[in-house]
Amino acid sequence: MTVLSDPPRAHATPARTSVADRAPRRPISAERIAAGLTLLALLVLGILAVDEVGISIPAMVQSWGNAENFMARVGGLSFPEPADLAWLIALTVGLVLVGTLLAAALSVPIAYLAASNTTPGNGWRAAARFVGVLTRALPDVVLAMAFVLMFSLGTLPGILAIGIHSIGMISKMFADAIEQIDEGPRLAIRAAGGSKMQEFASGILPQVLPSWVATVLHRNDINLRGSVVLGYVGVAGLGLEMSYAFKSLNYGKGLGIALVIFVLCVVMEIVSSLVRGAMLGQQRQTRSWIDRIIHPRLRGATGAATTERPEWAASPQTAVRRPWTAERMRNTTGIVTAVLVVIGSVVVSQINWMDFFTFWAKLPEVAAKFWPPSFGNYEASAMIAAMRDTVAIALAATVLTLLPSLILGSLAASNVAPGAGARGIARFLLVGIRGIPELILAIVLVVITGLGAQAGVIALAIGGIGLLGKLIADSLEEVDRGPERALRAVGATRLQTYASATVPQGMQALIGHSFYMLDTNIRAATILGIVGGGGVGYYLLNASQGSRYETVTAIVLMILVTVLVVEGLAMWMRKVFR
Amino acid sequence: MNTASDALIRLDGVTKTFGSTTALKNASLQVSRGEIVVLLGLSGSGKSTLLRHLDGLEVPTSGEIEVLGAKVPTLKGKALRALRSRVGFIFQQFELVPSLTVLENVLTGSLSEVRGPRLGLWGYSKAAKLRALEHLDRVGLLDRAYQRSDTLSGGQQQRVAIARALMQKPDILLADEPVASLDPESSDQVMALIREIAADEGLTVVCSLHQVDLAISWADRIVGLRHGEIVLDTPTGDLTKAEVMEIYGRVATTTAEIRAVQDELTEITVDVAQLDKARAS
Repeated sequence: MTVLSDPPRAHATPARTSVADRAPRRPISAERIAAGLTLLALLVLGILAVDEVGISIPAMVQSWGNAENFMARVGGLSFPEPADLAWLIALTVGLVLVGTLLAAALSVPIAYLAASNTTPGNGWRAAARFVGVLTRALPDVVLAMAFVLMFSLGTLPGILAIGIHSIGMISKMFADAIEQIDEGPRLAIRAAGGSKMQEFASGILPQVLPSWVATVLHRNDINLRGSVVLGYVGVAGLGLEMSYAFKSLNYGKGLGIALVIFVLCVVMEIVSSLVRGAMLGQQRQTRSWIDRIIHPRLRGATGAATTERPEWAASPQTAVRRPWTAERMRNTTGIVTAVLVVIGSVVVSQINWMDFFTFWAKLPEVAAKFWPPSFGNYEASAMIAAMRDTVAIALAATVLTLLPSLILGSLAASNVAPGAGARGIARFLLVGIRGIPELILAIVLVVITGLGAQAGVIALAIGGIGLLGKLIADSLEEVDRGPERALRAVGATRLQTYASATVPQGMQALIGHSFYMLDTNIRAATILGIVGGGGVGYYLLNASQGSRYETVTAIVLMILVTVLVVEGLAMWMRKVFR
Repeated sequence: MNTASDALIRLDGVTKTFGSTTALKNASLQVSRGEIVVLLGLSGSGKSTLLRHLDGLEVPTSGEIEVLGAKVPTLKGKALRALRSRVGFIFQQFELVPSLTVLENVLTGSLSEVRGPRLGLWGYSKAAKLRALEHLDRVGLLDRAYQRSDTLSGGQQQRVAIARALMQKPDILLADEPVASLDPESSDQVMALIREIAADEGLTVVCSLHQVDLAISWADRIVGLRHGEIVLDTPTGDLTKAEVMEIYGRVATTTAEIRAVQDELTEITVDVAQLDKARAS
C-alpha cells in the first residue's frame, strides 16, 4: 500500500513523450490494403450494377397490373392427376437422391486425397482439389445437356449431372470435416498396429460421419431445387412436366407444378433438418424451443447411471448378444429406413443400366460435337458483353442479399437473437425462402416485370437470403462464447456485444460466405438466363437447342474462367482476413 | 546391469530434433522383461517423445532403438504394424473414438490381427467380441459395453483404453501420462489397475509421469528426464529421504518449480518418514 500512496513522479519525467507517441504504429500490410480495396471495388461495382439493372419499386408496383392480367389468364391453378403427380414426385426425389449419393460416394476418395491430414502427398492433394473446383464450376445444366446426348432420355442424364456437379461442394466439405477431426483416436489405432484403411474406417469415419450426413442432406436440398431447371434440358421429373406446361402456354398447370415443387422443397428441408438434429442430438443438447418440440430431448446414458448391473451383463458370454435398448431400436430403425429410402430411389429412378454399355460408343462422337470451342455465328464481343451482364446480375444480387441476410442470419443465431421466439421466426423465414427454387421465383418475376435482368437479380437476391442467412447464422453460432460473456460482464449492450465480440470472430466466415454467394450467383445467373433472366444463359440455351455444341463449350469455358477467378479471389480473401 | 539379450527395450544414443528444438539428447536406456519403469520429468522434458519412439510413432534423428528384438527406426509397413501390435499404448487423453460404443473401441485393439477395415460391430468375429468383453469385465466395465464411449467418465474411459491395449495381447505396455487428466480417485484406480494387469500378464511397463510422489510409490525404477536428457536412473526399492529430495532437485528446473516442489516436499517428507517407519516395523 505504501508503494501505491507514493506517487510515481520519479518515473514520469516531463521530458517523456505522451503514450500516443510511444505506442507502436499499427502495422500496415500492403496485402491487407489491397484485399480491402478489392472488396470495396466489388461492393461499388455491385451497387453500380444494381443501379444499371434499374430496379425501381414504382415500376414494379405499376407492372403489378401485368401480374393481375396474367393471373386472370391463368384462371386458377391446375395439377396433374394424383397418380401421375405422386409418380412425378417420387421420380424427382428419387433421381435427386441417387445423384446426390453418387456424388457422395465419389467424393469420399477425393476428400481423402484433398484433406491435409490424410493426403499421401501434395501432388495428390492439388489434383483432388482441382477435380473439386472443376466439377463445381461446370453447371449441372450443361452436364445434363451433354449427358442427354449420350444416354437415352430418362433419369440417367440427370443423375449423372447432379452426381458429377455435386462432387465439388461435397468433396470440399468432406475434406474440411476430415481436417477438423481429433487426431488422437486415429493415432491410437495406428499405435495398435492398424493399417491406413483401418485408421480411416475406425478412427476417422466415425468422427466425420455426422458432418458428412449433414453435408449430403444439405446438398440434396440444393439439388432438389436445382432439378427444376434440369427439366428444361430434358431430364424427366416435375421440372420437365413444368417446362412442357409453360411451353404449351398452360400457365395454370405450370404454376400448379411450381407450387408442388415449392412444397416439396420445404418438406425436404424440414425432413433433412430433422435427420441432422437427430444425429447431432446425441452430441449437443442446447436447442431452441422449435427443435425441442420437433424432437424431444434425448436422455444421456450418463444421466441414467444405474447402480445395478443389467441382466445381460452378468458375464462376457451373456454380453455377446447386444441388448435391444431404446437407443439401439432407434438407431436400427433409422438405418433400415435410410436403406429402404435409397433402394426405393434407385428402383423409382428406373435407371437404364444398358446405357452404361452403349454410351462408350457414343462418347467420341459426342465429344467431337463439343470440340473445338467456337462462338459460331455469335459475335465474340456480344458474348463477352453477355458474360459481363451475367456477372453484373450476380454482383447486384449478391450486394442486395448482403444486408437482409446479415440481419436475418444474426437474428437466427442463438447467441445473437434477443429471444428464442425471434430466433424461431428468423429460422422459419430462412427455411421458407430457401425452399423456393430460384427458377420458379424467376418465372413468376418474369411474368411481373417482363423479360430482362431485373427479374433475374431479384430472384437471385431473394433466394440468396435463404442460403447466406443460414450460413451466417451457423457461423455466428460457432464463435467462441467467452469474449461475448466478457463484454456482457463489462456492461456492454446486446448490440455492442454483437459488434465487438460476435461479428469480429465471424468475419472471416462472413467474407468467405459472401464470396461463395457470388460464386453461386454467377452460376445461377447463367441458369436464369435460360428462362429469360438476361445474360449469357440465353445464348447457352439457344446454342444447345440449335445443336451448336461447340458454342456451348465456348460459353462454358467463359463461365469456368469467371468462376475460377472468383474462387481465386475468395481464397485470397480468406487468407488475408484470417 | 542387463545383458543385451535380456533387454526388451534398448535405446542407444537416441537424439531427436524438431526443427531447432532438441526433444531428446543422446538418450540411452535398457528395460528388461517384467520391469515397471517410470519416466519422470516436467512437461517438455522429452518423456512423450521417448515413448513415441518405442512404438515407431517417431523416427529418431540419430541413434538406435531396439524393441522386442526389432530395430524400430528401420521398420516399415507390415513389419512396423506387427511390432506395434505387440506394444500397447495408453494415452493421456484416452483417445477413444467418441461416437463408437465401448465394445467397438476395445475391438479396435485387435485390428492388426485382421485384414482390411472394419465398419461396425458385425465386422468382428464372435471370438474377438468375447475376448473384448472379458477384458471389459476385467476393468469392471462390462455393463457399459454398448454405450457410446463419450458417455463415460474420464477414469472409465482410461480403463476402456487399457482394455483396448490388452486386446492386442501385448508384451510391452507404454503409458503416456495415463492419469494427468484424471481426478485423484480415478488416478489411483487406473494406476493400480495397470500394476495389477502387468503382474498378471507379465507385462513390461514404461510409463511417463510428472508427479514424483506417485512415481516413487508406484514404479520399480525411475528414469528422470530433463531437457531431453536422462539425468537419473534408480530403482525405487530403498530410497532415502535425501535421495527423494535429490530426485526433486534433478527433475525440477526453474526456481518457481523448485519452490513448488519445496511446498510439496513438506508433505512428501512426512509420507516418506511414515513409509520408513512402516518398513522398519
